[in-house]
Order: sequence, then C-alpha cells, then structure tokens
Amino acid sequence: MEAAIVFYGLSFFMTVLSLGVLFNPNPIMSALYLVLTMIGVSLVFFMLDAGFLAGVQLIVYAGAVLVLFVMVIMLFDLKREVYTFSRGFFTRLLKVFTGVVFLIILVKSFFLVPETKELLNSSTQMTTKNLAGLLFTEYIFVFELLGLLLLAVAIGAVALSRIKGGTHAE
Amino acid sequence: MLSSELLHIGLNHYLGLSAVIFVIGMLTVLLRRNLIVMLMGVELMLNAVNITFVAFSSFNQNMNGQVMVFFVMAIAAAEAAVGLALAVTIFKHYKEIDISAFEQLKS
Repeated sequence: MEAAIVFYGLSFFMTVLSLGVLFNPNPIMSALYLVLTMIGVSLVFFMLDAGFLAGVQLIVYAGAVLVLFVMVIMLFDLKREVYTFSRGFFTRLLKVFTGVVFLIILVKSFFLVPETKELLNSSTQMTTKNLAGLLFTEYIFVFELLGLLLLAVAIGAVALSRIKGGTHAE
Repeated sequence: MLSSELLHIGLNHYLGLSAVIFVIGMLTVLLRRNLIVMLMGVELMLNAVNITFVAFSSFNQNMNGQVMVFFVMAIAAAEAAVGLALAVTIFKHYKEIDISAFEQLKS
C-alpha cells in the first residue's frame, strides 16, 4: 500500500517535471527540471533495490552531466527564445501523433512480457559486491574499452572546442 | 480485483513509467529548436531505458542488467560532452544554437 502511494506520487512528479523540460522556453529552467527528473530516476532505482546505481545516478547525472549542461548554457549569452518549438502546425501535429502512437505501442507490448516468477533463482543476491564481481570479471574487456572511449571523447571534445581560438574567437 | 492489480506495484508499472518518460524525451528532441534542450531530451530517453534495465534486472533477479546501466551511463556522459562541444562550435560561427544552423556545419 505504502509502496503504491510512493510509486504513484513519484511517477506523477517525474512526468510533470519531464514535461517541464519539454515545455519551458528558458533553457536554464529546462536544465533545473532535468536535475529534478534525474533525482526521481535515482529514487526509482532505490525502490528497485539498486542502491549503488541510485548513488551513481545522483553523482554522474545530477552532479556531473547537468553541471556541464548549465555551464555551457551560461557560456552562451542566451536570451529567451523567440521560437521555442519547431515551426509548422501540421509538422508539429505529426510529431505529437508519432509520440502518442509510439507510447501506445510500447504499453501494448508490455502485456506480451511473460510473467516473471517471483524470485526466479535467489542464489544471486542483488548486492553491490555481486555487481562489482560481474563488472570486473565477465565484463572486464568492455569496461576497459569504455575507459578508452572516454579518453577519446575527452580529447575529441577539447579538439572540437579549440578550433580557431576556442570560445573566445572573434 | 482491479484495485489489487493497481496497488501491487509490479514490473509493468515501472515499464509504463519508463515508456512515458521515453516518449516525453522523444518529443523534446522532435519539437524543440534549441540544441541544448534537444540534448537534454536525449538524456531523458537514456534514463528511461536505464529504468527499464533496472526494472527487468530487479524482477528477474539477474545482475547483468545493472552492469548494462553502467555502460549506458558512461556512453551518455560521453555523448553529452561531444554534443555540447559541437554546440560550442556552432555558437562560435552563428551566435545562436538553433538546430537549423546545423545544416551549415561544414564551413
């Protein structure tokens, strides 16, 4: 009962906040709504017994990625947008229609998911220790590859933003 | 019967929440003109997928889904960094970050 109340409240707030990202004409406000949505996602992870991922979500998204977004927004001298949304009434209608149809398809497809048996095999406990064990044994190659990718991305981002004098170019 | 179905939070509830957030993120990418807000929409979509991963992982008692969430998070951070660097490049040329300026990216 309490879990249901918490879940429905959380989903309501997350839906409203992500709609705020969509509809607010001010990018800074969009970023703030996004932070709150990320905190909501972290709480959902917590409800699903993934406490470590909830912490990582808070640190990586609410901490790092959103700060990056806000810094870039502040770097630009952004006025309130004249055109928030893409133009064309028919095009807009088509886009919203596509979104609604996609949502209906997704929700319909959930009922094709076979019923999961309660606690299929309780031998694997959902602990952070097991997560780390899996990450550093079975997935170690992918993990190292990811480190390489992040290095490449860091170099690429610096190279991209330093073309012709960086952000202070005339 | 219906009320007990609604009050017992199962896998489908989490999947529904994730679907709603995914579609809102998709509409953000489709409808907005500001490049940075479009990147925020991509982040919303990636987070919706993460909720799906963790929900399946939790209800199947299978740890592999949570490892995937790690990878998705790393890719999302990388994508945000590159996207924002591109936004800076666009802004230097055109003094605006409207998505329509992107069609002239090749200077």
